[in-house]
Amino acid sequence: MSKLKKGVVYLLFAIPVVTQLYPLLWLVLYSLKTNEEIMDGSFFSFPKSIQWHNYTEAYTSGSYLKYLTNSVFVTGVTMIFVILLASMAAYAISRFRWKYGNLVMTIFLMGMMIPMQATLLPLMIIFKNIHVLNTHWSLILPYVAFSTPIAVFILTGFMKAIPHEIEESAFIDGANIYRIFRSIILPVSVPPVMTVCILTFINIWNEYILAATFISSEKLKTLPFGVYTFVSQYSVNYGNIGAFLVMGALPVILIYFFLSNQITKGMVAGAVKG
Amino acid sequence: MDKKRVKQSVTLALSAAMALSLAACGNSNNNANTSTNEATKAPDNAAAATTAPSDKKVTITFQNIYPDPATPAYKMIHELSDEYHKAHPNVTIELDTLNTDQQKVKLKTQAASKEIPDITIVNPAAQMKPFVDAGLFSPLNDMLDQNGLKDTYQAGLLDYYSFDNNVYALPDGNNIEVVYYNKDLFAQAGIAAPPTTFDELLQDVKLLKDKGITPLAIGEKDSWTGSFLFMNILLRTNGGPGFLKDVVDGKKTFEDPAFVEAVDAFQKLVAAGAFPDGATSIDANAGGNIFKSGKAAMWVIGTWETGAIDASSVAGKVGAFQFPTVDGKGDPNEFMLAPGSAFAVSANSEHLQETKDFLNFFASSYPKKQFELKNAVGLGQKVDGDLKAAGYSDLAITVAGLFNQVKGGDLSFDNTMNPATSQVHLSSIQNLFVQKVDSASVAKEHQTAFEANK
Amino acid sequence: MKVLKVPARTIAVFIVPCLLLYVCLVFVPILVSLYTGLLKWDGLTSAHFIGFGNFKEMFFHDPVFWPSVKRTLLYSVASMLEIPLCLGMAILLNRNLKKGNTLVSIYFTPVILSVVIIGQLWKTIYNPASMGGMLNGVLISLGLDSWTHNWLTEPNIAMFALYVVSLWQYFGYHLLIQYTGVQNIPDELYEAAKIDGADGFKADRYITLPLIVPIFKISIILAFIGSLQAFDLVMVMTAGGPAHATDVISTHMYNSSFMSFKYGYGSAIATFLVVVCLVFTAFINTIFNKLERKYT
Repeated sequence: MSKLKKGVVYLLFAIPVVTQLYPLLWLVLYSLKTNEEIMDGSFFSFPKSIQWHNYTEAYTSGSYLKYLTNSVFVTGVTMIFVILLASMAAYAISRFRWKYGNLVMTIFLMGMMIPMQATLLPLMIIFKNIHVLNTHWSLILPYVAFSTPIAVFILTGFMKAIPHEIEESAFIDGANIYRIFRSIILPVSVPPVMTVCILTFINIWNEYILAATFISSEKLKTLPFGVYTFVSQYSVNYGNIGAFLVMGALPVILIYFFLSNQITKGMVAGAVKG
Repeated sequence: MDKKRVKQSVTLALSAAMALSLAACGNSNNNANTSTNEATKAPDNAAAATTAPSDKKVTITFQNIYPDPATPAYKMIHELSDEYHKAHPNVTIELDTLNTDQQKVKLKTQAASKEIPDITIVNPAAQMKPFVDAGLFSPLNDMLDQNGLKDTYQAGLLDYYSFDNNVYALPDGNNIEVVYYNKDLFAQAGIAAPPTTFDELLQDVKLLKDKGITPLAIGEKDSWTGSFLFMNILLRTNGGPGFLKDVVDGKKTFEDPAFVEAVDAFQKLVAAGAFPDGATSIDANAGGNIFKSGKAAMWVIGTWETGAIDASSVAGKVGAFQFPTVDGKGDPNEFMLAPGSAFAVSANSEHLQETKDFLNFFASSYPKKQFELKNAVGLGQKVDGDLKAAGYSDLAITVAGLFNQVKGGDLSFDNTMNPATSQVHLSSIQNLFVQKVDSASVAKEHQTAFEANK
Repeated sequence: MKVLKVPARTIAVFIVPCLLLYVCLVFVPILVSLYTGLLKWDGLTSAHFIGFGNFKEMFFHDPVFWPSVKRTLLYSVASMLEIPLCLGMAILLNRNLKKGNTLVSIYFTPVILSVVIIGQLWKTIYNPASMGGMLNGVLISLGLDSWTHNWLTEPNIAMFALYVVSLWQYFGYHLLIQYTGVQNIPDELYEAAKIDGADGFKADRYITLPLIVPIFKISIILAFIGSLQAFDLVMVMTAGGPAHATDVISTHMYNSSFMSFKYGYGSAIATFLVVVCLVFTAFINTIFNKLERKYT
């Protein structure tokens, strides 16, 4: 390939790096500025002096730690359930010989088309009757339920492609199906599971409508709710808002960069050959 | 007209005011057992739990819209709740603090599943009617008679919250809409005195515009702001209050000349460039900040903003005046009235009596607390105290003076009309900000929506 | 493919917990919603059954409905058109870089940020010049003053401004999907093709494209469903305004249910949304199944 051509291609790669990373930089700069610097609205400028106090103020007035703990708990439990339930279902759909496999898959796929906002009120009524309103379960249950379609979808695609010789030989060795699932299928499914983790994490970590509706106790509220309230309320200090946004995004960014190499492996692994 | 709890004020140091321990709340309840087991025994005591002090452990959920720690309202609700808990250790007040939008959706969802919190917040008149019709709120008449609470409210104010002679909610204020203006910017543009007619207003808009100053601040992404301003004009072109009521009663239609003229006048304002660029993408609070940061000369808004303006960078430079007359019509002393958001009690509350007792304390202590927090402008209850002596600003005193001139007025559109019609109205007015529309067709759009949603 | 013949009880153990939770919390609610779509109900007082009355109003009398459907469909067309570009980019990345993963991860960053952050950022970009908007600022400094606009408030432009944000945000998402797909194509295939004289774009035509079809389908369906449900971004940036100029189906549903107190009507809109999703997904599936059969 000619040098020029190569140059053009690399330029093509470089442009999205700037446009896609810019928001993070923007946000960090924003969070370190004074109100006047922010109000002047320039697109790219460094703060004259760094306003660390924006962070201390956001930290103290925003109940950050409490929201963070709740979010970590809710998200963590949700992910464990999603992975466990979805991989079991995906295993059954992709590897068992039974009549209703495709039907069940279709039912799951239909779930991707259901907008969460439309289920707000019915969920409220259900939760009222099973007495989980204003507990973390009122978030975990719907989060798990709404995350399963895409999780089952990705995992099924992967599991279909696992060579079945592995299972057969294990069977011959006398292992039962649960053991095969636990010690063979799950370990090899790590890449798509990571993908599911990241996608689930992103969705749940930023969800606030259910969080605002089903949780009333201050001590149970989650971070996206906190971020949303903090941002849309009538605080005059933009720097604080920026700092709170950075703190709110930090966990998701950290998790993402730890897992990001996995996500590219697992996203659609197996679908090509499937 | 719902985002009114936008008050933000000086980061008031919580001074000696706190020392006023609430001895007044003479409940010598000292036998409350704080052990958690107590809660499980509660049902046994339920029958006895009327007004007599009881040691039944109770948690009262108080849904509210005061999320900003910088505001007096936030301090007020936290301090009063803490004080009550101190005096009644068995009663815990759990605050479910949301911003206005969230609260609206949440309450709606809760109401549809008949699961509303012990205390919640609703807007007056038409906006609370569906909830009352659904039997969700408990009448508060008996509670209002205790401790003379009823007499603390301004005459007639509770009517906005009453249906069939029952009061269903207690307002957190009673405001009017005025025009705040920045005296420095007026001087820069060479404007000697605030406008008293709409034509003068348009001239001033032009003068300000020529100097590169935004004439009128607004945040029309939240479409109630534009409607609130528009309703001032309608109040004038109609020659007095009652236009919407006449429409509801079938005496007038939206195609009445008064309404069409009001739309015309409003469009003149838009055409003159009175509003900031891109007004419909600006949040209500960001719109207010344009004024409060000294970039806009005028702001048509409710008096609940007085404290916030005094806390902003334009403090001391701001005055207030009545909305001008339009084409010689209307009386400047008739105002858009904004009876406040109000506290309502769930009819199905598990602790109805305790909740009412708490709300009685809360509402009785409310005016005094607000006064201390320098948030007494637009209070719906009588309070002893002299603003000037208490160190309130000149602006606050001017605004309080305007209150004394009120001869009457109208409620906002969405407090008068049903929600579906209101939504059509709000977006119809929002549309005027972005394009020129035939005023008659705006009127027709309103009439069609009104008839479809009767 | 499915080799394991296991007892029904075992199948149940694997599938029932997941399915039960999912059916109870996703399926039942939407069925309830389908039913409430047949009611005239404000969500508070008693409801009346009116059959398809809401649908009649929706299809024939609601001035906001069809424009919002149109915007939603345009939204999804725009996001689907993005995918071929992503595929092209993915092929280039795969061919020119050994370690494309890092770049792809960087491109993905906007996807992980909350809409609140995205919204704030793009507002500062779109703001009028008088408020320091970056886009208008750049245009003015290039001497293109006449190109400046109030991007979010001019009814004819605002929706396109939102499309751009969405395309920008999901660029990395679809690139990632395409890239992993391209990576999964065995190198041997290309080597074999090289021997046969097919290289570069020619190889793409005969190897990459046919093999990527299933992945492409996934992307298309995800893009379609995602844009049909686009909600948060519109709410944060314009709330459907000015005067419904940026209302999409989901925001219209939300406003009807929660602001206008027409809960039954809002549910009817939700029904419409779900049905459109189902029909289009089935449609896309059919087309792609044909494509797949043609190539394999």
